[in-house]
Amino acid sequence: MGEIEEKDIDQGKKLGTQELTLSMGPQHPATHGVLRLVLELDGETVTKCTPYVGYLHRGVEKLGENKTYFSALPLTDRLDYISSMSNNVAYVVAVERLFGIEAPERAKYLRTIMSEMTRISSHIIWLGTHALDIGAMTVFLYSFREREWLLDLFEQACGARLTVSYPRIGGVRNDVSKEWLDSLYRFTQEFPARVDEYETLIDQNRIWLQRTKGIGVISAEEAINWGLTGGTLRGSGVNYDVRKAFPYDAYDKVEFEVPLGSAGDVYDRYRVRMGELRQANRIIKQCIEQMPDGPVLAPDAPKFILPAKENLFKNMESLIHHFVLLTKGPLTAPAGEIYSAAEVPKGELGFYIVSDGTGKPYRMRVRAPSFIHASVLPRLCEGGLVADVIANIGTIDIVLGECDR
Amino acid sequence: MTIKKFINTVFMTEILKGMALTFRSMLTPAITRQYPKVKRSAAAGFRGEHAFVRDPETGREKCIGCGLCGAVCPSQCIHIYTSEDPETHKKIVDRYEIELLRCVYCAFCVEACPVGAISLTENYEYADYSREALYMTKEKLLANWDKFMAGKKGEEYFKKFWHPQANDFAAYAGQAVFNHKPKVEGK
Repeated sequence: MGEIEEKDIDQGKKLGTQELTLSMGPQHPATHGVLRLVLELDGETVTKCTPYVGYLHRGVEKLGENKTYFSALPLTDRLDYISSMSNNVAYVVAVERLFGIEAPERAKYLRTIMSEMTRISSHIIWLGTHALDIGAMTVFLYSFREREWLLDLFEQACGARLTVSYPRIGGVRNDVSKEWLDSLYRFTQEFPARVDEYETLIDQNRIWLQRTKGIGVISAEEAINWGLTGGTLRGSGVNYDVRKAFPYDAYDKVEFEVPLGSAGDVYDRYRVRMGELRQANRIIKQCIEQMPDGPVLAPDAPKFILPAKENLFKNMESLIHHFVLLTKGPLTAPAGEIYSAAEVPKGELGFYIVSDGTGKPYRMRVRAPSFIHASVLPRLCEGGLVADVIANIGTIDIVLGECDR
Repeated sequence: MTIKKFINTVFMTEILKGMALTFRSMLTPAITRQYPKVKRSAAAGFRGEHAFVRDPETGREKCIGCGLCGAVCPSQCIHIYTSEDPETHKKIVDRYEIELLRCVYCAFCVEACPVGAISLTENYEYADYSREALYMTKEKLLANWDKFMAGKKGEEYFKKFWHPQANDFAAYAGQAVFNHKPKVEGK
């Protein structure tokens, strides 16, 4: 190593600088799945960011056209696989609105409880992984403790932990026991203290504040123009929530607030989701207290809902309905189209279903919030630092199973 | 306010608070399980490996070969081959096969079966090195029933978890109604 001479510096000036193209993903652990970003870097600054999606494409929309309304339900489990119950509810609500059938009250309350449990479990996995990406590891361990509790409750209610397939068109699969409700009530009493724990760890932490405040800022108007929904939109201060705007299930019977941010940065979106954790807990509590009794599957829609099993060999009509529903689907389904949305943890999950009067949908389009949120990544990342790309991927809360469908 | 902020900045109170929390949770009992040594029992009604119900009267399977389970299966992993008995003209199930590697464990087959001939067991440890071991035949499925579901467990399974109950209001006699009174929050 010798001294730097004048001619070396001159040569450097002649060569000039060059932008570095960095391919991030699809196997990068911080991209929350198989998202690939191609970043063009000028030093530490991102000048261009291009997301590439499609690595997890399974053709859910096309598969939906080839399955009966009943059999297509497990496909929706696999859209956003950490909040499968909400996806199921969004799908069955869409099909119920299309068919014009109404689920019994008890089923509606159960579905509301399940949706909000999913919201909690999805938000705490988001919080854990988001904090882990930014560098706070302990939150990840604590949040999985509560998630385990909820998954155990899912398992007791419907026999599966992740891909639940619990709601049915016109209700839910089976009733829950009193012990289950008691156990869930204990959860709702303990959970606010757990949220306080997460906040103790990161809420005022100076590293967390530096990594989140003023990062990925998007104004309210721009957020609407990009089509953002859910916590990502509300972080910018737009009061839009499908549960309030177009209530489904039992959301019009419970009281809850919609937490709003103001700055539209990563920190405000974090605050919004923490607020949603508390509100979801409040909704579950109210639902348990108001829980009516009655059937959990609509009893007055025999052409859309499977008949009771002991009637199959006593009642000819029941047997015929059973066989036709399972092999050909509901042949009396009204022709028409419907767009129905539900507030899933990620945002607004919409199903646009076109029915041509046969047992299978003619078209099933899924409006996946993750896909739309992934499209805003260039807007958030460009001009920022490369380290903030990770914070931005975390804050828009995407799951690639839903993004690629 | 500014003095408080100054003290917070110098003494890192928020970080100390967080560290106090992690220290406290060191003293609480561990919640992780050492899996292969400590096994977790699945909840009743868990949707695990499949089993064929053995009829206690005939000692054979209950399946009548109607093919509804195969029709409703979203992943189309059930294959049924039937033939006709030349004397009684009844349907005989020659082969009944489930590809476990394709199954999504939605248990729609259980819901569809009109005679309650198939069930999902609580067994979740069936990983194997070969594909053949995960290709279930009729004999394997019947053996699963004897191993995991025989006796009272199997009877309760169908009563409790697999009963589309649309018209069946009598089933709601013992329904869970929550009667906790809302707790008054202290000021």
